[in-house]
Amino acid sequence: MNTDGTQKDIQSYLTFKLGDEIFAAHVSKVLNILEMMKITKVPKAPSYMKGVINLRGMVLPLIDTRLKFGMSETEFTPSTCILVLDINLNNESVKMGAIVDFVQEVIEISKDKIQPPPTLGNKYKSSFIDGMVKTEDYFIMLLNLEQIFSTDEIVSLKGVTSEVAS
Amino acid sequence: MDKLKQKFIEEASEHVAEIEQSLLLLENDPDNPDLIEKIFRAMHTLKGAGSMFGFEKISDLTHNVENIYDLIRNGKLPFTRNIADLTLGASDLIRLIISEENQSEPATLEKYENMKEVVSNILSEISKGNATIMDEKAIDESLMATYYIYFKPGINIFNNGTNPLYLVEELAGMGKSFVLVHQENIPDLENLDPEYCYTSWEIVLAAETSVKTIREVFIFVEDSAEIEIQELSKKDLFENKKFLRKLEKFIPGTNEIGFDQFKVLAESSDQSVANKLKKALGDDYKKTVRDYSISSIRVASEKLDHLMNLVSEMVTTQARLSLYVEHESSGELTTINENIQKLSRQLRDLAFEIVLVPIDTIIIRYQRLVRDLSKELNKMVVFQATGTETELDKTVIENLTDPLMHIIRNCIDHGIELPDERISKGKPAEGKIQLNAFHSGTNVHIEIQDDGRGIDVEKIRTKALQKGLIHDEANLSDRQLYDLLFLPGFSTAENVTDVSGRGVGMDVVRQKIANIRGEIQVESQKDLGTKITLKIPITLSIIDGLLVEVDKTNYIIPLISVSKIYSIDHSAIENKFNNYIVLDEERIPFFYLREEFEAAKNTEGQEQVIVIQYENQKVGLVADAVVGEYQAVLKPLGKHYRNQQIVSAATILGDGTVALVIDTNRAINYFSKLITVEESL
Repeated sequence: MNTDGTQKDIQSYLTFKLGDEIFAAHVSKVLNILEMMKITKVPKAPSYMKGVINLRGMVLPLIDTRLKFGMSETEFTPSTCILVLDINLNNESVKMGAIVDFVQEVIEISKDKIQPPPTLGNKYKSSFIDGMVKTEDYFIMLLNLEQIFSTDEIVSLKGVTSEVAS
Repeated sequence: MDKLKQKFIEEASEHVAEIEQSLLLLENDPDNPDLIEKIFRAMHTLKGAGSMFGFEKISDLTHNVENIYDLIRNGKLPFTRNIADLTLGASDLIRLIISEENQSEPATLEKYENMKEVVSNILSEISKGNATIMDEKAIDESLMATYYIYFKPGINIFNNGTNPLYLVEELAGMGKSFVLVHQENIPDLENLDPEYCYTSWEIVLAAETSVKTIREVFIFVEDSAEIEIQELSKKDLFENKKFLRKLEKFIPGTNEIGFDQFKVLAESSDQSVANKLKKALGDDYKKTVRDYSISSIRVASEKLDHLMNLVSEMVTTQARLSLYVEHESSGELTTINENIQKLSRQLRDLAFEIVLVPIDTIIIRYQRLVRDLSKELNKMVVFQATGTETELDKTVIENLTDPLMHIIRNCIDHGIELPDERISKGKPAEGKIQLNAFHSGTNVHIEIQDDGRGIDVEKIRTKALQKGLIHDEANLSDRQLYDLLFLPGFSTAENVTDVSGRGVGMDVVRQKIANIRGEIQVESQKDLGTKITLKIPITLSIIDGLLVEVDKTNYIIPLISVSKIYSIDHSAIENKFNNYIVLDEERIPFFYLREEFEAAKNTEGQEQVIVIQYENQKVGLVADAVVGEYQAVLKPLGKHYRNQQIVSAATILGDGTVALVIDTNRAINYFSKLITVEESL
């Protein structure tokens, strides 16, 4: 798979669904896509921290992306997947699993098609979103995974959820 | 070459550390010859190696210091504090020199020149006082030689009552010797006259002597005996292995060999490689080699890490095998599996032991720290340590070094008063810092206690108010106030000194201790001193655990903290608002794990109470089921769970699922805090 595209302006993204909305993560951040497996719940952890799984001998923390985005808790269906992400937090590579409803496809997006995230009336905290892409019938939100999953953001989730709620 | 140099630097640092350690021990025991010898030898090795790797300054410096220690070693100079200071200074300098890429930093050069001057001053003073010492020694050394002696007593020697064997023995006693006996002239029994002596001897003797002295041995038999004494070599040929090997080939009873043949032998061996090497490494080469018994070997620490990883993997894989065997039970396979289990357990224990390091290894640098720092601050402080043989995982030790350093610095800087102040308080002028290390369950406790002024809680309170950390009306216990010390940027020192008081200390200390899953506690009494206790887990890698189940999730409880398991009916814990249960006529507080973990409660059936030793009391943890023993390879839970209180790590079970390792101390702490909060509401 060509991750960079033939031209520098063309980038590959993996799209997935949370509910009816489509999001995309840059392919360089996605290591693996796993089917749902048995999760070991960690007691006394925030609800969006679903627990841990065994990824080839490594203990991988799982995050319920829907809860993280202020949506209702993920209901596990056969299409529920875990995206194994490798993100850079404070100059340290951190692996984690993000639970999503449905994984769609890898698409190539050229840079000039990316629009800045909406600043007014947005449902999602805009620093979480790098930009939007409009296709024929829907919008795809390109996620800033570092922002979303940086530990600080997780800790200050209360602020995010209240913002989403308001 | 760079690699060799790196190796030299590593070794040199160790030698310097050894010198320091011996020195500090010497201060308490100035007459210990072993310690002097150790320093001498370390200096000597540094000298040789230094010049080999182009560290001329090191070899120069150590050469001079070595001379001093040679004198001490020979009882010609007493060991004084001055010399200790000098040697410590020299060690520092050596460390500085090897740490620098180019050896020509002006500051270092200056220090080097100063040090050189001081050392040579001492040496010249000594030689003035004992002008003969060096000369005598010089003569002694030049006398070392190897001699060839041929001795054929006159046939009537027994008649004047001389036993030639005594003469041979006397010769042999003068140094190292090789004696070849010639009995080929002894006639057949019927022709033998027992009154006559038929034997002759050839002796190779290496000793600090002269032909004249040797001749004196034969003074009474000289006239009748055939005696030949010649110098074989100016060196001690017994140091030469090749020569020795050749000597051993001679069989007693063969014909006389003669001086010439020995001489040829000596010369041919003399040019051997061994001799050259010996020359390069100094005369002590052989001695050090002999002293060096292979009771321990040096292993790169990455290799140990790798070993631990492999053992961990094996333990995990073995667990999978066990699980498989359980389902596919066949007699033979079960036996094999049991054997593998036993072996992997032994292997694990051994690997685990290998990476344990006694606390000793880091204590020595604190002795140095206390010594230097107290001098700098004009305080008198002794540092004592007990239980330093207590062992901890090497990674734990590595992470302990800095925090301990900081704590001890604080003790000296803030704790111990100046001598005058101490006397006015009725305390001995000399302050004391005591470090105690001991095992306590799965943990090792390290206590650092000083007899200084103690921590002034009022001062903490004022400071905390100033910084807006607490409210006016906050009614905090002493313990809570001490906890404030660990907040970032909190320092009560009035003056910021070079040593401490910048407020970056204690919070870093707590963070570092927390990183190795340890805890820190402060106790203090005004004018009596402060005690800081660190509780550190012995290992970070593998533990023996008890596998239990709560709400279909597996948890591991460290086996070492488990004291007993009871099976009780659910009704026994139902509606117990005081959370006490009576087991074996003992009232034990308990925590229902399902409840604590916010899972649905059971309504009936059996419950397992796992009784845990928590501090000085027993606490029960109620789980659904006990699965069995499990060797848990600890895996970090990762950054996202770093604030986790109950679970300290995770482990992977044979079936590939993850089990969480409960940190019993912290978990019980956490559960009981919740209760106190609820009560206070």
